[in-house]
Amino acid sequence: MWAYILRRVLYNIPVYLGIIFLLMAALRVNDPIWGYLGKNASHEAYAAMEKSMGLDQPLLVQFWDFTSGLVTFEEVDGVSRWKAGLAESWSDKGRPVGDLVGDAVWPSLSITVPALVLTSLISITIAILSAYYRGRLPDKVMMVSAVLGMSISFLVYIIFGQYWGAYVLNERIGGEFFAIQGYKSDEPGWWVTYCLLPVLISTIVTMGYDTRFYRAVMVEETGRDYITTARAKGATKRKIMFVHMLKNAMIPIITRIMITLPFLVMGSLLLEVYFGIPGMGRALLQAITTLDFPVAQLLVALFAGLFLLTVILTDVFYALVDPRVRLQ
Amino acid sequence: MKLSARSPLLAVVLCLLAPFSFADPGTTADPGGGSQKEKVLHLPMRSAGPGSLDPILGSTVYDTRSCNYVYETLLQYKYLKRPYELEPLLLEAMPTTEDGLTWNFELKKGVLFHDDECFPGGVGRELVTDDVFYSWRRIVDPAYELKSWWLLKELIEGLDEYKEEQGKRVEAGGAFDYSAPIAGFKKVDDHRFQIVLREPVYRFMWILPMAKLSIVPREAVEKYGTGFSRHPVGTGPFLMKEDDWVTNQSMVFTKNPKYHPDFYPTEWMPEDEELGLHEAAGKRLPFVDRVEVTFFVQENPMWLEFQAGKLDYTQVPAENYLEAFHKRSQRLKKEFAEKGVVSHAVPLLDFIFRAFNMEDPLVGGFEPKQRALRQAIAMATDLYEFNSSFYNGINVIYDGMIPPGMDGYPEDGKGPITWAEADLERARELMVEAGYPNGEGLPVIDYYTSLSGNIPEQAELFKRQLAQIGVQLNLRLQNFAQLIEAVDKKKATMFSFSWSSDYPDAENNLALFYGPNEAPGSNHFNYKRAEYDRLYEQILPMVPSPERTKLLEKMRDMVMADTPYIGSMARTRFYVINPWLKNYKPDETFYNWVKYMDLDESARDL
Amino acid sequence: MIGPMKRLLRSRGARKLGRDRLALASMFVIGAYLAIAIAVGVFGLISGEEAIFRIGPDQLVGAWGKPTVEQRMHYLEFYVDQVDQAFDKREPEKALAAIDFFGLRTVSTDEDVMAEKLETIFDPFDELYELQEEEGFADDPENFARLEKLEVDIAAMFQQPEGWERRYRDIGLLLGTDRQGRSILLRAVYAIKVAVQIGLVAALVSVLIGTILGGVAAFFGGWVDHVIVWLYSTLSAIPYIILLMVLAAMFLGSPFEGTLIPVYVAFCMTFWIGPCRVVRGEVMKLRELEYVQAATAVGFGRTRILLKHIIPNTTHLMFINFSLIFIGAIKAEVILSFLGLGVKNEPSWGVMINQSRQEVIAGFMWQIGAATFFMFTLVLAFNILSDALQDAFDPKHV
Repeated sequence: MWAYILRRVLYNIPVYLGIIFLLMAALRVNDPIWGYLGKNASHEAYAAMEKSMGLDQPLLVQFWDFTSGLVTFEEVDGVSRWKAGLAESWSDKGRPVGDLVGDAVWPSLSITVPALVLTSLISITIAILSAYYRGRLPDKVMMVSAVLGMSISFLVYIIFGQYWGAYVLNERIGGEFFAIQGYKSDEPGWWVTYCLLPVLISTIVTMGYDTRFYRAVMVEETGRDYITTARAKGATKRKIMFVHMLKNAMIPIITRIMITLPFLVMGSLLLEVYFGIPGMGRALLQAITTLDFPVAQLLVALFAGLFLLTVILTDVFYALVDPRVRLQ
Repeated sequence: MKLSARSPLLAVVLCLLAPFSFADPGTTADPGGGSQKEKVLHLPMRSAGPGSLDPILGSTVYDTRSCNYVYETLLQYKYLKRPYELEPLLLEAMPTTEDGLTWNFELKKGVLFHDDECFPGGVGRELVTDDVFYSWRRIVDPAYELKSWWLLKELIEGLDEYKEEQGKRVEAGGAFDYSAPIAGFKKVDDHRFQIVLREPVYRFMWILPMAKLSIVPREAVEKYGTGFSRHPVGTGPFLMKEDDWVTNQSMVFTKNPKYHPDFYPTEWMPEDEELGLHEAAGKRLPFVDRVEVTFFVQENPMWLEFQAGKLDYTQVPAENYLEAFHKRSQRLKKEFAEKGVVSHAVPLLDFIFRAFNMEDPLVGGFEPKQRALRQAIAMATDLYEFNSSFYNGINVIYDGMIPPGMDGYPEDGKGPITWAEADLERARELMVEAGYPNGEGLPVIDYYTSLSGNIPEQAELFKRQLAQIGVQLNLRLQNFAQLIEAVDKKKATMFSFSWSSDYPDAENNLALFYGPNEAPGSNHFNYKRAEYDRLYEQILPMVPSPERTKLLEKMRDMVMADTPYIGSMARTRFYVINPWLKNYKPDETFYNWVKYMDLDESARDL
Repeated sequence: MIGPMKRLLRSRGARKLGRDRLALASMFVIGAYLAIAIAVGVFGLISGEEAIFRIGPDQLVGAWGKPTVEQRMHYLEFYVDQVDQAFDKREPEKALAAIDFFGLRTVSTDEDVMAEKLETIFDPFDELYELQEEEGFADDPENFARLEKLEVDIAAMFQQPEGWERRYRDIGLLLGTDRQGRSILLRAVYAIKVAVQIGLVAALVSVLIGTILGGVAAFFGGWVDHVIVWLYSTLSAIPYIILLMVLAAMFLGSPFEGTLIPVYVAFCMTFWIGPCRVVRGEVMKLRELEYVQAATAVGFGRTRILLKHIIPNTTHLMFINFSLIFIGAIKAEVILSFLGLGVKNEPSWGVMINQSRQEVIAGFMWQIGAATFFMFTLVLAFNILSDALQDAFDPKHV
């Protein structure tokens, strides 16, 4: 078992380094310095800034500096701090990127975690019902609406969600139930005001995809031997659906949820941008548009690390629960 | 697993856990629990906030505005006086000079820096001559990337040489020497000093109130290093602690209890009386205890919070303009006027233009044919359509590069040479003169512009207007970084930009066409004409006079005839102010007006 | 390639597909879109200029919309301004003659005639404008009468084009106009070409790259397999929106910026992963099959086996993935356009949806409605087709 895990970890190290390298190379296609110099630049100031940003070094040196920073700690004011997090943001002068990224985690999670929970609960329920009524009217209605829903752009959901959920609703009730935009975590009821609407929109958008997936899982389970056996033993259809099948369908369900976990931290970029939530997705977009390399690099390094970690954990989990998977 | 101790994955796990320790949501304590009488301003800032509070690192107006809370300059603008005039702030009196070269300064006595740990005993010390010199020397220190160097370049005796010398020293691995002598910095005593200029330059007065020349204490810079950007220590009316700045969200400033004696102005304009702006005359500043600044990346929420009474004032977003104002009369609508809201129209010192790269082989050059092409493009551009489609018709359209309100601005904005109005007929004739009848033989022109806000839509309108005379544009919508890179490297054939004057004198805008300022400097047009450069050098030392104005006009029309740009437009910003905010006269030329603001809570209940 | 294609067409799956009426209908819809795209792109049904030129006042509601009083005043103001501004020019007659909104011209280009007409309109117009700023304007039926009279008078300053031109203009106004007075319908239809172009290129290239790399990886194994798997694991460890964003942003300073090439590259580099994975899995299975083993034993070249016997047997997967990527590309275009990295020199649904964000808040739904409708129909058709394809050829797929 441990050998298996170790092998998976070792295998993913080149993948991890590859991600960081590709990103660093892709970012450096653009030159950030002129942008930071503003409208009154000079070649002299350019050189000074290039040096202080470390961009005069070859890419491989910069790559080494960054990746080695990911695994080293430095003593600052008597406290051991993670070196990669100490680098300074270019657009937020004097701010360690670690702090910047840290501040963005919570707002992202306060949208994505509730959205995931809500989406999963609703779509699993619908999927079970759909599978239960397989081929009959309720199933058809649910599946047709899933396809219809999937055919509309995410952005259209956001635009209308904001319009009806915030503008129209607020005008009707004459107050502010959902904020049009923004994020403040220091008011009572802040989560409902600032986060619930994006959560609802996100749920509606993802529901179609999830429901179809879970239904397919359920339908596949109905064909299995144990269902036939249970039925032969005289178990009611309802009991089979909700007890036996759900239990067995748990593996693909948990796997799917696990795989989505790292994406939660990254947040939903579009929602964050549109609703002005200062999460990781928005931070990354900002870093890419302002060419703030230290921030963009750290965000992607974190995300990729988390992603690979989940992939490994999922594999291990699979190996543990499903004896058919060989730990080769 | 020995390997894992230094593995990146472990680090990833650790750092993912780390944020939870400081991203603590929802538990911020009740703000202050202060007494009922505490006066708190709630002000908006239409951005994600400043990038840095170090005066010499900031470049945006948001940096300047934020610095103005904490830091002070030697001079300041007279708050209520228009046209703009200067008055001493950290000085006893306006600086004096006999030959225009040597200027005598005398600092106010008893001006204290904020109390801060960087000082012995944590108590702020008095501001002295050495602080002024230190603050200005920092501008040439390569450690700060020379971002503000253009401001003092070729201005002060010995400063350029000092910069060269120290630059070499640092290059060779030495330390920047802040004590090396500079011929133009002459200390008389702790409160008196002289600055010697290389040549008499009128501009010198106007750069003194700029935030970049704020006075900072050496102790703080040395103690906080790069963290100084977020830990400002100045002499200003307000102070800020590190925790008071929540990135992307808000900033809180607290009254400086030891602020030096500074008083509300006793000079005002007649129209100010109607709004009661004169009533506080002679009172001690500042009036409020705390200022809470909220950042708004998008305009809509700012607008709604103002209406909900959560903000004391706001600028009116273009998209919401018609909610508040009648289109034709520009009057405030009834529902706002009834609540006691007051509106101000602030003309900005703005020069919005679409530029040609004069070094480009196709659209650049001074040959009659090349000029005809540019003029044809200018004639096909209908600025009035831009104004009505995107700005509710409130912008000022004018000829030349000198914005309204300055010497050299043509009467009613209409100069002897004009391209402001579209005339397709004439434009088509010019296309023939240029050798491209109906655009035949003319390659597609790359047009670089920003991709933010409604600028892409404006670019589409521009593309359509030019298509009418057969000029094809390829739109290249970019982020600011790529846009300015293309301009600085002279790659951008045509591009759109705007220039906000650093000070209300035409010289600042005329410098945009001065040959030696070519890209990457501020002459983004790469406009080079020897005669123009000579005139520019001629006006530099001149103080305002009818002769000077004549020269300004001559320069303006010279550029107009060559048409290195299409324009011009100046925005008018509308501000609405809630009835409880007192003493506010909005302005976007200077930003240290928060200390004059006062609150009248009794007006809130009306 | 032909043999296996025939086999595929004669397979049980194809027959199943042929019986699926919904799938046939969706193929018909897709065909119609394709035909329009060809008509626009190849035969110039709508020229690029027609998609950007002004057809009338801005934010005109569609044919079956009911404009508010404010909107009606706004349209009138536009027409009055057109004539009024002509008199500010050096040669008003020439300026009057230049007024042409898809054939809508002034009744006369004679300076005096038009000046006289304008003169009679100015006062009632200004008066009404003043009145409209007051509250309760809409409640007074008298005001309505005045507004209607004014509309008639102002319309009398213009003459509609004749015959076919007239019909074309009416069609152009069917769904109203955007903020710049451009026809929403013409733009939305023109955008079909852009969408099909993007979808086709992205789907074709991605499927091609994915299939070849997937096939090669599985068939040759060893380090080739490792490199390809490494490459797609790496790319798929970055959320796809971010990958698209980074790739498209790379081109911002390049000479390709402003064309569709950055969009193509971003899509192809992101979307090839899906088919590559699936094909790799399928080929792993295929290469163990008897006939492949036999071909190897006979001594056929490995490349030949791969190209002749293995890849053709993944055709059904190619079709499914083509359909899925087509949808992905059209939807991703909207998001890239939102981030300012998408289509730039032509109208596209993404561009239209983005430009309508402020209009929606003001209650003007025509632009977003049109773009969404056209896009919805195409994506829905592809969604149904993908499902049917999957049902028919790959029923075990979850």
